[in-house]
Amino acid sequence: MKMKLWINKILIILWAFVFFFGAASGIQSQEKKRFPFAATLYKLKNGLHVILSEDHSLPIVSVVMVYNVGSMNEQPGKTGLAYLMENLMFQGSENIGRMQHVSIINRLGGELNATTTVDRTVFLQRVPSNQLTQVLWLESDRMRSLQINAAKVEKAKQEIIGDIRNRKAANPYLESYWRFDQLIYPSFAYNHPVIGSEVDLQDLKVQDVKDFYNTYYVPNNAVLSIAGKIDREKVLTDIRKYFETIPEGKEIPHVPLSKSPEEIPIHESMESDQVPSPGFHLGYRLAHPSSDDFYALSLIEYILLRGSTSRLQKRLIKRERLALHMDGDIEKRYPVARFKLFILNNNQFMVQRAQRAIFSELHRLKTSFISSEELQKSKNMFKMDYIDQYTDSLSRALFLAEEFLFKRILVNPSEELLKYFAVTPTDIVGVSNRYFKEDSVILDIEAK
Amino acid sequence: MKPGSRFALAPSLIAQERFRRTPPIPEPLPDLMIPEIKSTSLWNGLTLWIIRKDNLPIISLRLIVFAGESSSPEGLPGMATLAAHMISRGCSGLSSSQIEEEIDFVGGSFSTSVHPDYALFSFTFLEEHLDRSLDLLSRMLLQPSFLRREIDAIKRNMYYNLVEEGSSPDFLAKRQMLRLLFENHPYKKVTFNEEVIKNLTQKDLVPFFYNNYRPNNTHIILTGNLDLETAQRKVQRYLQRWQKREMRPVQPESPESNKKRRVCFIHNSNAKEATLYLGNVVIPATNPDIFPLLVMNQVLGGTPNSRLFLNLRESKEYAYQAFSQIEYYKNFSVFFINAKVRPEVVEASIQEILNEIRSITNKKVSTFEIEQAKSYMIGNFPLQIESLAELTSKVAENKALNLGDNHWKRYYENIMLVTSDKVFELSRRIPLLTPVVVVVGNSDIVLNQFGKFIKEVEIFNTKGVYLGTYKFD
Repeated sequence: MKMKLWINKILIILWAFVFFFGAASGIQSQEKKRFPFAATLYKLKNGLHVILSEDHSLPIVSVVMVYNVGSMNEQPGKTGLAYLMENLMFQGSENIGRMQHVSIINRLGGELNATTTVDRTVFLQRVPSNQLTQVLWLESDRMRSLQINAAKVEKAKQEIIGDIRNRKAANPYLESYWRFDQLIYPSFAYNHPVIGSEVDLQDLKVQDVKDFYNTYYVPNNAVLSIAGKIDREKVLTDIRKYFETIPEGKEIPHVPLSKSPEEIPIHESMESDQVPSPGFHLGYRLAHPSSDDFYALSLIEYILLRGSTSRLQKRLIKRERLALHMDGDIEKRYPVARFKLFILNNNQFMVQRAQRAIFSELHRLKTSFISSEELQKSKNMFKMDYIDQYTDSLSRALFLAEEFLFKRILVNPSEELLKYFAVTPTDIVGVSNRYFKEDSVILDIEAK
Repeated sequence: MKPGSRFALAPSLIAQERFRRTPPIPEPLPDLMIPEIKSTSLWNGLTLWIIRKDNLPIISLRLIVFAGESSSPEGLPGMATLAAHMISRGCSGLSSSQIEEEIDFVGGSFSTSVHPDYALFSFTFLEEHLDRSLDLLSRMLLQPSFLRREIDAIKRNMYYNLVEEGSSPDFLAKRQMLRLLFENHPYKKVTFNEEVIKNLTQKDLVPFFYNNYRPNNTHIILTGNLDLETAQRKVQRYLQRWQKREMRPVQPESPESNKKRRVCFIHNSNAKEATLYLGNVVIPATNPDIFPLLVMNQVLGGTPNSRLFLNLRESKEYAYQAFSQIEYYKNFSVFFINAKVRPEVVEASIQEILNEIRSITNKKVSTFEIEQAKSYMIGNFPLQIESLAELTSKVAENKALNLGDNHWKRYYENIMLVTSDKVFELSRRIPLLTPVVVVVGNSDIVLNQFGKFIKEVEIFNTKGVYLGTYKFD
C-alpha cells in the first residue's frame, strides 16, 4: 500500500536519524576529554584517601591534607573547637617542638598555610621537591602524635579570643555576617561562627580538644593530595610508611541534616552604632554542592556579579549608583550551598532601591533568555577562573582534594568544563526559576 | 570499627615507630629546568619575548613601555602614571566600559602598574581569544581617545589613592626614604604627592604619550602554548601599523649613596607602633656582586629565621616584624630594612639594627649560616616562577631591567658560588652603616627618647615638607 510504504519511509528516515545522532553522540561520549594533568586516587588500608598528580615541569611539590571536619562538627557550647584544633596542629608533638613545623618549611624555602571553614580543615605546604619526605614526616607526625596539654590549649584559646576581639574591632559588619548565617541556616551545626564564641572558648576543656582530635583527625576522615615533581611509586612507598601505620579511627559521627527555614521569606533588620553606612545581606538556599544544577548556577554567579561588567555590578554600582560596595558569590558549602550578596549603601532609601533592583534583575533572569554573547562572556570568564584552580601544584592538589570530597571521585576538569559550556539560555531560565523563588533571606543593617 | 580490633586503642597509646623521632634525610637537589625564553624583533623595533608553556589554554602577556615615572617631564610628575592608566579608558570605536566588556569576553584580566623605570601592563586571556585580545590591545595602544572626562576620572583616582596611601605609615616612611636618597637626582620625581596631580592636563598628556608609547620603546612578553613564529605573526598582524620614532636613549646615572647617617621623623598620631625604614643606594642588579649581597640580605633579614627578626622580635621583643630587602632600579638598587617596633624603643631598635649590620661587616658569617641562607634561596626560586602569572612577571622584570641570564638561567649557580668570604668582603664595601633612616610614629612617644646616640633628627610632614631639625645634646 502506498500509504504504508510512505509511513515506512518515514520510519526509515527516523531510524536513520536516530542511528545517525545516536551514533554521533555515542562517539562523542567515547571520545572522553583527557585529563589536563595526571591524577590517581588511592585508598590506604586505614581509610586515608591519597591523590597523586605528577608534574615534572619544576622541582616543586605541594602537599595538601584535608580533614573532613569544620565548625559544623561542633556541639552547642563548644564552638571554636575546629579552629582551635587547626591552631594546635602547629604547636608540636612528641617529636616536634612548638612552631617547628613552620620554621622547618620556611628554612627549606617553602611556604605553608592552613584554613578552617564550616566543613573542612585544610593544611597546605609547597616546598622544593627533594623535601617531600620531610613534609610527609611532619604531616603524619601531627596526625599520629600531636601533643595536647593544658598549657597549649590555654595559649591557643587566648590567642583566638584576642583574634575574635580584633576582628570585631576591625570589621563592624562582622556580627551581621554571623546573624545572616543564622537566618539562612536554621540548624545550629551550620550557622555558628567558625572562629567560635568567646564564652564557649573560655569553657573548653583539654579533654574536649583531645576528643575532637581523636574523633576527626584520623586517616579515615582525611584526604592527602600531592601534586608536583614526584616519583609515584616512591611516594606511595613513603606514604605507606608514614601514614598507613597510623591506626584507623572510629566511625565519624553524622552531622544532623540541614533544616530549611520554617517561614519564608525572611526579612529582618539589625541596628548598629558602629557601622559607617547602612547595607544588607541577601541570599537564597540552593542545592547540595554536588548537584548538576551548579553548571548553570555557577554561570549565573558570573552573569549577575562577577567582574565589572556583570548585571548587578553595572546596575547597582555604575549605572544607578545605588550601592557603595557589593560583593557576593555562590558559596558551595556542605550540605546546602547558598547564593549570597553583601551590599553597602549611602542611606536607607538606597537600601530599598538596591533590593528592588536586585529582585528586578533576578526577575529578568527568570523571564527572558540571555543573549548568546553575554552567556559566552560569562562562560569565558568562568573558564579562566576554573582553570586557575589547577594552574600550579598547590592549587591543583587542593582542587583535586576538594572536588573529591564533594563528589567522591577524581573529577576530570576538561569534562567538567564541557558541561559548563553546554549550559543553554533555557537552562539559565529554568535553574533561576527553580532557586530564586519567594524564599529570599534578607538582613538589613541600619546605621544608628 | 570492628569490635576487638587493634584499632580500639587510642593512637597515642601505641608506641611510636622509630622513624617518627627524627626527620628523614632530604634527597639531593633536583635540576632546575628553567623555561627557555626566545626573542625576536619586529621591523618597527618592537621586541618580543616568548616562553612556551603548553599545559594550559591561557596566555599571559606583559607589555613593557619604557615610560616609567622617571620619564615624566620636569615639573609634571605623575604624567607617566596618568598616561599608562589612560590606555584602557577608551580608544577609537570603544568606550572605557566597552573595553571592560571586551576584556571580560576573552576571560581576561588587565592591570597597569608604573615603576620608576617603566610602565607595565599585564593582560591574561584564554588562548582561543588570542586574536581578539591582540586586536583590543592594538586599538588601546594605537588609537587612545584621551577624553577629558576619562582624564579627570583617572586624576581623581590617582589623587584619592595617594591620599589613602598617605595614611599608611609604611607608604609614608618608604616614600620619604626614597625622596632623601634621590634628593639631587631626576628620580626624585617618582616620589610625588597628591598636590601635583592638578597640574596634569590633556595638552601635556598627548605629546608625552606619543613621544614615549612607541614600538621601539616597548617589549612584549607572551607566555603560553605558542611558538615564536606564530607569536611573531600574530603580534605583527595587529601591531605592524605602530610607527617607530627616533628615541634618545635614556641612561640616568645612579644616585650617589648616602655618606652620613641621617635620621628623619614624620609625626602620625594614629600610629600604634612606630615604623622604621633604613636604606641606602647600592650596586645595580647587573653587577656580579649582587649575588653575595642577596645572600647577605637573606642572612640579615630575608625571612623570620633571619638575624633581624630573631634579634628584634624574638630576643629583644622590640619589634612586631623586621625584614630587609633589595629593590632593583635600572642602574642601581636600594637596600633597605623595615621594621614595626614598639614606639618607646625606637632609638634602641635603630641601634640594634645597626649592630646587626655591624656584626656582618665585622665578623664573617659562619659557613653554616651562609649555606642555610643559600638553601632557602635555591629552594624558593622555583616557587617564584610556578604560576603562569608569576613566571611572566619575573621574565618581564628581567627584561625591563635588562638583568640578563645571570638572574635567569644562571641564578642557581650564581647563588651556589657565594661563600662566606665573598659576603664578608662585599659587606665592607657597601654603605650599609650610613643609611637614611625614617621613623613614622607618634611624636609624643618617639621624639623624647632620642639623644642617647642619635643627636640630630630632621622633621618632615606627611607630604614631605621639611619642618626643622631637633638637636639633642
